[in-house]
Amino acid sequence: MRKLTFVLSVLILASLVLAACTPAAAPTEPPAPAAATSAPASSSGSEPTQAPAPTEPPAAADEPVTLRVLIHQNPPLVDFMTKFNEDFQAKYPNITVDMTVVNANDLSTTTQTRLSAGDIDVIDMFAFSNSAQPYMKNVTPPIWQTLIDAGQLMDLSDQPFVKNYDPAAIKDAGTYNGKVYEINLGRVGFSGIYYNKTLFEQYSVKVPTTWSELVAACQTFKDNDIPCMTAGGKDGWPIFVGAYGILGAAYPDQAALTQGLWEGTIKWNDDKSLDMWERMKVYAQDMMEPGASGIAGDAAPGRFASGAVAMFSGGTWYAAAIEATDPEMQWGYIPFPASDNPDDNKYMFGKYDQGWVVAANTPNKDASLKYLAEFSDPANYQTFANAVGFIPTQPGATLDTQIGKEVAPYLENFRIGYELYWVAPKGAGQYANPWASYFKPFGTFDDAKTLADQVQADLQAGLDANQ
Amino acid sequence: MSYYFGRGNSRWIPYLLILPGMLLYFIVALGPSLATAVYSFTDATGITGGAVHWIGLENYREFLTMGMAARDNYAALLRTLKFCFFVSIIQFALGLFVAMLLNQRLKGTKFFRALFFMPVILGVTVISLIWMLFLYPLGGPVEKVVELFGSHLEFLGGQPNEAFACVIFIQIWANMGFTMVIFLAGLQTISDEVIEAARIDGASGWQVFRYVTWPLLTPSVNTNLVLNIIGSLQAWQLFLILIGYRNGTQVLGYVVYAQAFGQVSGSTTANSFRQGYGAAASIVLFVLVLVIGLTTDYFLRRREERLLA
Repeated sequence: MRKLTFVLSVLILASLVLAACTPAAAPTEPPAPAAATSAPASSSGSEPTQAPAPTEPPAAADEPVTLRVLIHQNPPLVDFMTKFNEDFQAKYPNITVDMTVVNANDLSTTTQTRLSAGDIDVIDMFAFSNSAQPYMKNVTPPIWQTLIDAGQLMDLSDQPFVKNYDPAAIKDAGTYNGKVYEINLGRVGFSGIYYNKTLFEQYSVKVPTTWSELVAACQTFKDNDIPCMTAGGKDGWPIFVGAYGILGAAYPDQAALTQGLWEGTIKWNDDKSLDMWERMKVYAQDMMEPGASGIAGDAAPGRFASGAVAMFSGGTWYAAAIEATDPEMQWGYIPFPASDNPDDNKYMFGKYDQGWVVAANTPNKDASLKYLAEFSDPANYQTFANAVGFIPTQPGATLDTQIGKEVAPYLENFRIGYELYWVAPKGAGQYANPWASYFKPFGTFDDAKTLADQVQADLQAGLDANQ
Repeated sequence: MSYYFGRGNSRWIPYLLILPGMLLYFIVALGPSLATAVYSFTDATGITGGAVHWIGLENYREFLTMGMAARDNYAALLRTLKFCFFVSIIQFALGLFVAMLLNQRLKGTKFFRALFFMPVILGVTVISLIWMLFLYPLGGPVEKVVELFGSHLEFLGGQPNEAFACVIFIQIWANMGFTMVIFLAGLQTISDEVIEAARIDGASGWQVFRYVTWPLLTPSVNTNLVLNIIGSLQAWQLFLILIGYRNGTQVLGYVVYAQAFGQVSGSTTANSFRQGYGAAASIVLFVLVLVIGLTTDYFLRRREERLLA
């Protein structure tokens, strides 16, 4: 019996060691404080560890190479990348591009698993954001920072193609500890509304510039059995993003908003915020069409382009999909008019969107860098910006599409949105965010004051827990 | 002196023969479970090469006591129990009812057995896509029926209780066939003579079921109850695909995944991997499954001994 016990003990120990055989550091040191960085991207923090050794020997310059590329689902992006890959393969016949497309919500998980498996070379990663700030306590670093600290991303600082991009974009969205790990491919606005010009003309509705005008416009459409507004509610975040203008009209400086919330000088249930919640309720319950919760994010542009709804609250990246669905459709794009003072509605909130990073342990380093260099060629980048609808981060490029013209007047008031600054304190409840989807029919709340108190209580619990 | 497996070198042969199977079990099942327990005391991110620090019980403290997040975790725990209760009871009852129906010598029973079992062989993703189409709130088939009554439902994207009820229904739809098959197997072990003898003694249909069929189905009842309870306590993939991480709908299994793989924010940007914290949450889930599973098993065994001894 003792022998049996001994054998079992050895087996358990061996299996434990094998199961936990990731090359992590020994769990002995006390937890390090999160890096304090400038917003929204970081510029300081602990030095990344040494990059893991390549799992395979590097490929020679002309031997056949399969370059593994990961991107997120966005139909215009996928279409562009498919064509780009064909051209790239024609230029470099020894390189075959194996591109994987995943849902945006799954991008970070897929990135982590494929990087750990050494199974990816070039990755589409959202811009560096949500860094810990000096006033934040006990927060967890974002994924991009953890990946760099773990030595999983390649230092691109010395690559010639980095110079093709606006230095501010490289610094804000792709630099960490003074080194460049991501080339950011563009900015997007997400606090606007697409409107159907044909329907507006047909029902003699003026393009709204204030909240009252927006409410009146919605009423006119509803009186004529036309749903006012749609969004990709199935994915969750589009409902929140659609209401960004309401948040932005109340708090135009969203870095200051984040700091104010952490320091307690701004509360989600003060008078100013309460006004915001009242408008979010109208947005969720009166403006949004019934059934919007079932529409996937990438299906919403099609719903709008079908002419079934008058407006569509969403980001500038949807423009290409609208045009692809109905090239003849007459549409416009305006900042969400959430205030009765037109001056409060002049801002376009947005973010640095996707960028390219390279796996530090790629055996296909040469092919990966050729891929990024080819993509960064000004002619290719220009085509990309127009195809996807990004506000360019290459100084010479322009957004020559309709969405480019629509947002041009607002670019001088372009601001990075709250979503890119906010880091929730540990212990905060699930309602500690300014999301319109908390209201019925998407959520459980029907009263703005009740919701405002709940949101503040959930946030305050986290702040108090970290005192 | 007694020898378990013979003398000399031959006594090692049985150990060697079971070694491959044991190794597979330890590496694939037990090893990761034990590793999870160890990770629950660290701040591991799961990223290869990332630093891991020993933080003691901090993850458990945060999960069970810290701020409103702890309240949300308890709510998820309660929701898991609710999900388990409704799924187990309804799936059990429906499975038994359908098995009784399809155990009759009637035409078409084989077709219906196959039909009811078919969802079991479909993957979670396929099941989810089917029901997302059925429950599409903008003119989907079910919405058309609801409209006939002058109403409108958002289904999976609607209020948390509405979405939660939809997932319970889909979970039962997807797994009822398995419960049915186990009951059918149990019913077919009951000999016709026993039933016939009861009928000759004057037993009504209900009495035959209550005093003959039901006691003789005890092994199937036990198997189904344990499988339904444990399966529903661990089910969360349907929530992931059908609803996503939405307030008021998360079950504990989904909390584990979302915390470990940075899916809690509902945003594509503000994510952090917290696999140490997720491991602590999974240990809490494990304890819950263990306690409920063992308790259920204990009472079912006692019942089985009483009825079939």
